[in-house]
Amino acid sequence: MSLADLVSLVYQYLDNIAFLLLAALGLMIILGVVNVINLAHGELIMLGAYITTIAYHDANLPLPVCMLLSVLGVGLFGMALERFVVRRFYGDRLAALVATWGVSLILSQGALLALGPSMPSVPLPAWTLHYEGYSFGGYRLLLFAIALAAIIATWWVFYRTKFGIRTRATMQNPDMTRALGVDTRNIYLLTFGAGSALAGLTGALYAPTTTIVPLMGTQFVDVAFITVVVGGGANPIIGAIASAALLAGISTPLSSILGTFIGRIGLLIAALVIIRFLPRGISGYWQDLRYQRMARHSS
Amino acid sequence: MNLRGRRGLAHTLNGPQELGHGPVFWVCFAAVTVAALAYPAFGSVFALSNLANFCLYVPMGLGLALLWGYNGVLSFGQSAFFAIAGYVYGVIAGNLIDVPGGSLLAVAGGLGASVLVAAVFGYFVFYGQVSGWIIPLLLLVLSLILETFMGQTAGYQWRVGSVLFGGYNGMTGIPSLQIGEWDFGGASTAFYYLVVVLTLLVYLGLRILVNSRYGHVVTAIKDDVERTRALGYNVNFIQIQVFVLAAALAGLSGVLYVSWGNYINPASMGLLSATLPVIWTAVGGRRSLLAVLLATLTLRWLADTLAVRGGEYAFLIMGVLLLATMLFFPEGIVVSLARRYGGWKAPTGAMNRSGSR
Amino acid sequence: MTNRPELTRTDGVLLRTENLVKAFGGVTAVDHLNFELPAGELRCLIGPNGAGKSTLFGLLSGLHRPDSGIILFKGEDITRLPPYQRVRRGLCQKFQTTRIYRDLTVAQNLLIAGGARSRGETNERLEWALSTLRLSEELDLRAGRLPHSHQQWLEICLTLATEPDLVLLDEPTAGMTPDETAVTARFLIDLNEHGLTVLVVEHDMAFVRLIAHRVTVLHYGRIFSYGTLEEIEANQEVRRIYLGEQ
Repeated sequence: MSLADLVSLVYQYLDNIAFLLLAALGLMIILGVVNVINLAHGELIMLGAYITTIAYHDANLPLPVCMLLSVLGVGLFGMALERFVVRRFYGDRLAALVATWGVSLILSQGALLALGPSMPSVPLPAWTLHYEGYSFGGYRLLLFAIALAAIIATWWVFYRTKFGIRTRATMQNPDMTRALGVDTRNIYLLTFGAGSALAGLTGALYAPTTTIVPLMGTQFVDVAFITVVVGGGANPIIGAIASAALLAGISTPLSSILGTFIGRIGLLIAALVIIRFLPRGISGYWQDLRYQRMARHSS
Repeated sequence: MNLRGRRGLAHTLNGPQELGHGPVFWVCFAAVTVAALAYPAFGSVFALSNLANFCLYVPMGLGLALLWGYNGVLSFGQSAFFAIAGYVYGVIAGNLIDVPGGSLLAVAGGLGASVLVAAVFGYFVFYGQVSGWIIPLLLLVLSLILETFMGQTAGYQWRVGSVLFGGYNGMTGIPSLQIGEWDFGGASTAFYYLVVVLTLLVYLGLRILVNSRYGHVVTAIKDDVERTRALGYNVNFIQIQVFVLAAALAGLSGVLYVSWGNYINPASMGLLSATLPVIWTAVGGRRSLLAVLLATLTLRWLADTLAVRGGEYAFLIMGVLLLATMLFFPEGIVVSLARRYGGWKAPTGAMNRSGSR
Repeated sequence: MTNRPELTRTDGVLLRTENLVKAFGGVTAVDHLNFELPAGELRCLIGPNGAGKSTLFGLLSGLHRPDSGIILFKGEDITRLPPYQRVRRGLCQKFQTTRIYRDLTVAQNLLIAGGARSRGETNERLEWALSTLRLSEELDLRAGRLPHSHQQWLEICLTLATEPDLVLLDEPTAGMTPDETAVTARFLIDLNEHGLTVLVVEHDMAFVRLIAHRVTVLHYGRIFSYGTLEEIEANQEVRRIYLGEQ
């Protein structure tokens, strides 16, 4: 394998990581804090893409502004979703899943009826890099950078802000945290908004790379779901990074040699095997190890 | 009541785990059954075929009721098992079209394939003792992957023997079930009787199952897993059994479907199809087999009517129905009515004791 | 088909632990514990809070995995067995807080409990227990609606339904009135006289006095003392570790 082949492989690997991270991060944060899986996640991504597309074509706004609108719009929608639907199901997580699936159907079918089977796409910024006979899309490298920035930003909020401390406290012990005067309902609301905003960002960022159709969310959710299952909700940041790195490491070689279908089936099989032995995902396992290490040091 | 769990058939049929007891109920039940069996005498071929089509989905719905309502495991994969069985039946029956008994072999193959996939999947999730939300998620992924894969099998190279997969257009010309000289094609009276009798057997069989000791253990697992383990039950194994049974019932519906329509396509294993059994179970009331049976028939009829008058709205309406049911009738419409006006007392089981589901 | 190795090859010792260790966080809850319980005994396990009694029960029933050491039941090493297989071998625990199936009737609870080891014969011990405790009159009541003491008794009956050789009772009289405690004591003594080995964790010394012949005292995860009830009560060291508790 030549250096150029290696560079190409690394590029694909980073591209895949970025896709997994951006597709799954919002969902994982919501799972970790609120302990709910939002099955409408794919449709939130779709909404983000649609807002960007409509703002770009109909309002003629510059692309970054359109993307910002997506983030804000989907974030607000997510908060409304939490307030009026998800909040009622905190006693029954599976019911929340089913209810958000209903929302997902309404959104995708509603988009189909209201806006038609497809929309004109947003042009992809043509930043091509050439190296030894391979060409690489600069835009997708930018997406990798944004994915990293999103992780860093999430880490910063969780570990360097007061809101983050309260959120982590809520994750560990909601009753105790409430007893200390923290409004956990507000935390759930804002977290849902943040996770949704991230979904909107993903949709906006990937809008130039794909066709804008009402069911476009599905291409994101099947990897997002696997990433979330393998990562686990115990620590969204560790879970997202470890899971994305691992899964991209499996799917990149598989799909480049044997095709996308084998790549995706490989991911599903990997997920099944991993949860058989690490039922709470990588972050759950990591958390258990940490507690054991702490125990050994303090005794 | 005899603690040993051996009671008369009458007692088990009338047990507390299911709706509908007493002479009034059973008289109505018998009346409806007789009417259904007598219908071919005065119904048109078209009406018979339609009714058979609605009924053939009932085993799939009842399987999910058992799995979700009684065992607490939400599955979005029933349509995947439905379609796997349908496709495998199509492959085997199509290749053995001139072989007597070939379609029976195909039924075994179709059901076997669904059962195998379910067993493997079930091993990983139940022996891993994963949280409840992981199962529907991974089953959704499975459905998506299968739909996408089958969707791009359009070329001539995508075939087994002489049977083409057909890509997005699906597999056509699937031979109907044939036993002896009877051909169970979609428009035949024989098929109508087959479906009605099978539906009846499945319903009554499941009714007996849920009221038996095994059925009580199944619901005990949903109510308190650790407690049930602490009473000596191999819970992981029991959960695989229930999951496989539900998959087999979905596969049964799948095989009946291809015998009826001689056709199957990737959409029947996709996301929208995956939703349908969940809707029937949620709207009827997953805690009762009868409620799910009624909901399945009603919603299939509704979908069929909508397809004629306003097909594009069908899934939007389904989505609204699902959301509205979860918000306002979380126990299901039929079950809520049964509780309010019939005083039915079976436990809701909406929340697991340890709060983990 | 159940696995029932016979008692004879264990010189009468039903349960034995060897060097059992379990630590949680920084605390060693069970510290190289060597514990022995002969068949047919009614033993009480006492000790101050944090002595490791509940942890020991958790290790015996399979809820926790020990860090090291082994557990022998009827001569067989059960250390690695999951809880349901221990129950099938005849070791059953009654939890400290009642964990009955609250929405099901008493009869349904018993139906479930009797399933894992059922060989179709009548469980006479269970039938006797139900009539003694008057639960046979409450078979159709929802378990969650029973008074607290009846729920505790139902839970004991659930363990009896699994046809155990050894029953672990974790504070069986918690929340009971003195009358109910006396009934429970009488009941346990009768059970034991009919051949069931019983190990009881209790804080209520009055109850211990009613039932126990032999008492093991745990302290800091180790056996602090062992003997008859009289010997333990007379022991100054035991008094000291219980400072303020009695």
